[in-house]
Amino acid sequence: MFRIIPDTNINFIGARRVAFGFSLLLVALGIFAFVMIATGRADLGIDFAGGVMLQGHFDQPVSIDNLRSGLAGTFPDAHVTELADFESPNAFIIKTKRPETDAEGKERAATIKNILAESFAGNQFTLDSEHIIGPAVGESLRKDAIWAVFISLVGIIIYIWIRFDFRSGVAATVATFHDVLAVLGILFLMGREFNLLIITALLTLAGYSLTDTVVVFDRIRENLKKFRSRGEFVFAVNRSVNEVLARTINTSMTVLIVVVTLFLFGGEVLRDFSLALILGVIVGSYSSVFVASPIVVEWEARRPSRFK
Amino acid sequence: MSGQRWRLVITLALIVVGLLAFWDTFKLWTMSDDERQAMQEEDPGALLALQQSAIRLGLDLQGGVHVVLRVKTEEIDPGTAAGAVERAMQVIRTRIDGLGVAEPNIQKQGDERIIIDLPGYTDAGRAEELVGQMAVLEFKLLENYDNAQLLLQKIDSVIHEYELAESGVTDTADITEASEPVADTTEEVDVLADLMGTDSTRDTTDFGFDEELGVSEDTHPFSSRLDQWLTNTQARTSWPCWAVNTRDRQKIDTWLDLPGVKRLIPVDVQFAWSTRVEIRNNREVWDLYLLKRKVQFVGKYLENISLRRGQYGGNEVDFRIASEGIGRFAQLTGANINKPLAVVLDNTVESAPFINSKIRGNGTITMGGSATLDDAVNMKIVLEAGALPAPVEIIEKNVVGASLGADSIRKGFYSSLIGLVIVLLFIGVYYRVSGVIADVGLLFNIFFLLAVMAGLGATLTMPGIAGIILTIGISVDSNILIFERIREELRTGKTVRASIDAGYQRAFVAIFDSHVTTLITAGALFIFGSGPIRGFAVTLFWGVTLSLYTAYVITKSIFDIRKAYRTLSI
Repeated sequence: MFRIIPDTNINFIGARRVAFGFSLLLVALGIFAFVMIATGRADLGIDFAGGVMLQGHFDQPVSIDNLRSGLAGTFPDAHVTELADFESPNAFIIKTKRPETDAEGKERAATIKNILAESFAGNQFTLDSEHIIGPAVGESLRKDAIWAVFISLVGIIIYIWIRFDFRSGVAATVATFHDVLAVLGILFLMGREFNLLIITALLTLAGYSLTDTVVVFDRIRENLKKFRSRGEFVFAVNRSVNEVLARTINTSMTVLIVVVTLFLFGGEVLRDFSLALILGVIVGSYSSVFVASPIVVEWEARRPSRFK
Repeated sequence: MSGQRWRLVITLALIVVGLLAFWDTFKLWTMSDDERQAMQEEDPGALLALQQSAIRLGLDLQGGVHVVLRVKTEEIDPGTAAGAVERAMQVIRTRIDGLGVAEPNIQKQGDERIIIDLPGYTDAGRAEELVGQMAVLEFKLLENYDNAQLLLQKIDSVIHEYELAESGVTDTADITEASEPVADTTEEVDVLADLMGTDSTRDTTDFGFDEELGVSEDTHPFSSRLDQWLTNTQARTSWPCWAVNTRDRQKIDTWLDLPGVKRLIPVDVQFAWSTRVEIRNNREVWDLYLLKRKVQFVGKYLENISLRRGQYGGNEVDFRIASEGIGRFAQLTGANINKPLAVVLDNTVESAPFINSKIRGNGTITMGGSATLDDAVNMKIVLEAGALPAPVEIIEKNVVGASLGADSIRKGFYSSLIGLVIVLLFIGVYYRVSGVIADVGLLFNIFFLLAVMAGLGATLTMPGIAGIILTIGISVDSNILIFERIREELRTGKTVRASIDAGYQRAFVAIFDSHVTTLITAGALFIFGSGPIRGFAVTLFWGVTLSLYTAYVITKSIFDIRKAYRTLSI
């Protein structure tokens, strides 16, 4: 038997106060990020804000600074990224956001193409992709995203409440929100753009982190049948966390392996998506150990009950 | 033991069905570019059939055009607005069919939007022109020459005044008052123009190259930028059609939009530009027409539209007049012999040929000299499909080049492969023989996933590939849960048989719960997500669902055999 994790008996529950402090910080950051997004002050992707994204490549090398300064005159908010791993060299993504009208997006795309043709005459710019989203579409995509988040969170909560008693249901819900908010906050700190794919990643990690919590809770439920006396409650919870630790770490490992390869080799489209998932896997494992179970313990300590 | 046999039979059957479903995809994906090219030439029908039964690739992977249109129902009579979106979809579908895209997808979204997906088609400009144009074809007569000249003179003087005011020479500056003096001057000009009437007609015999005649740009800012262009040499008549240098076009448009100028233009005439820019004498020019506003004949009476190479190399669109329109068209052409008849498509003039004789049955639209064959084909397509019931605007456009799609496929493929290999190794090393069994289960899982995608005709997108990769990571979880449980049971000293039974049984609850939560998320994303996100939801959903089968049927079958062992490699 090959084991990375030997039989452990770490006192996770004992460390709950420190963990709660750290988690509160993460959640506060996440709520702040959420408010910034909701009020439109965070960096929203063109799918939510409306805008223009052009991807293309030049025949000859172009410095990104030249490109930026060439566009800055007309579009001070233009965002230029160089693509290191695209098959053609000298590839760039140019974005400008928040057009006033649907027609303006189209005009902007045309203007950018003109500027590129004029400023870099003799250095052919080939367009590989062009995406124009009008403000109306941006608004409906925002609405759809809110619905998707709402429906899946409600669905998950309903499921938790069917499967568990009230207390563990609340604890699992808190842990899930904790994870989503923590990742949201970290991405915000990193200055990442919030788009449909990020929302998708957040929902996926909500499902994933809940799975982690469910596995621990299943074990707690099982162990509480063995350790029935009141004094053994904390012991039973801590033991359950330890018992499933190998599973938690191994599953996190396999998921981490795939999301890291996706991050490294999946290309520009999926980079932020996989980053969110990497963070999600880490935070999700942390929360199933340090957030969900300790909440149950704290609750039991204040209002003892017969935990089923 | 019979349960065991059944599981084997069902699994084998599923493998066979899966292979059948996936076979075309496999053939298509392993085909080299050359082979595909060869097949395209030899048997395009078979290639199309292959593409249709294989897993479809989303626009982001194979390249293509995605357009969302909004039908501006508010701009038409409310009485006809009901069903306008459906009628517009019908027209657009017919137009797209004319384009020959393999699998176009046209659907309604909400109350007033139409989504158009053209996979594999990357000529965005043309697609946009084809779906975005209203395509109202009208035949109109031109204003007579003398009236047109008078109008030009009036416009000249209004603009002259305006320019002076703008440049601050007269220092009237206050724009709100500007309209008053303008109105005054027009009256003066009327008189002036009357006096100059003979002069202006004489100009035309020289084909009106005003600049050369020394007409000052200052006093005639408008007419000095227009070069008389349309003249019937046989009938010795000139018509109000002028060539304008491309650089002047914007200025002319601005001027024509001035309230003072608008007021001068009689209600029954209108200025209209040519559809395309032309190159004449090494100059880029647009033609500006002065048309009589009255619609003489409309495009819906045209039928049997066909394309032809014209006498002088240009493109011509031949048509026949439908029986309901014959009388009207014959009367129109008969009464206007030797006059030009403007062919106006969506308020721009395609051409304005002279009517040579009374036309009864068949006619020809000569396209402008710079019209390409694509332009001509577009004209044919929109005439055949008819006009849209309401104008539309493009509110979203996404164009992905084929090379970008290919790049995404390559990245998706390699990152899946790398992730898969590392996970297989990790599980194999960590859980030894049991790990290898889990690896076999994982490979089956991916195979079944692809087979289901092909069988359902689902679309694979770049986020969809991410879903497959995520499935690789997540679906192993079932096996990890089971294995860790078996290990625990073994450590407590249970037999191999008892440990395997307990492991599978006790892990089931946790595995089932975790699947349900992922499925809830995937379901919400499928319902509310747009194209690429939907692809993610689909692969995640099926990947996770199928992993339950592979864990509890396929790998368990192998474990059932191992129950008889004394020790377990786990």
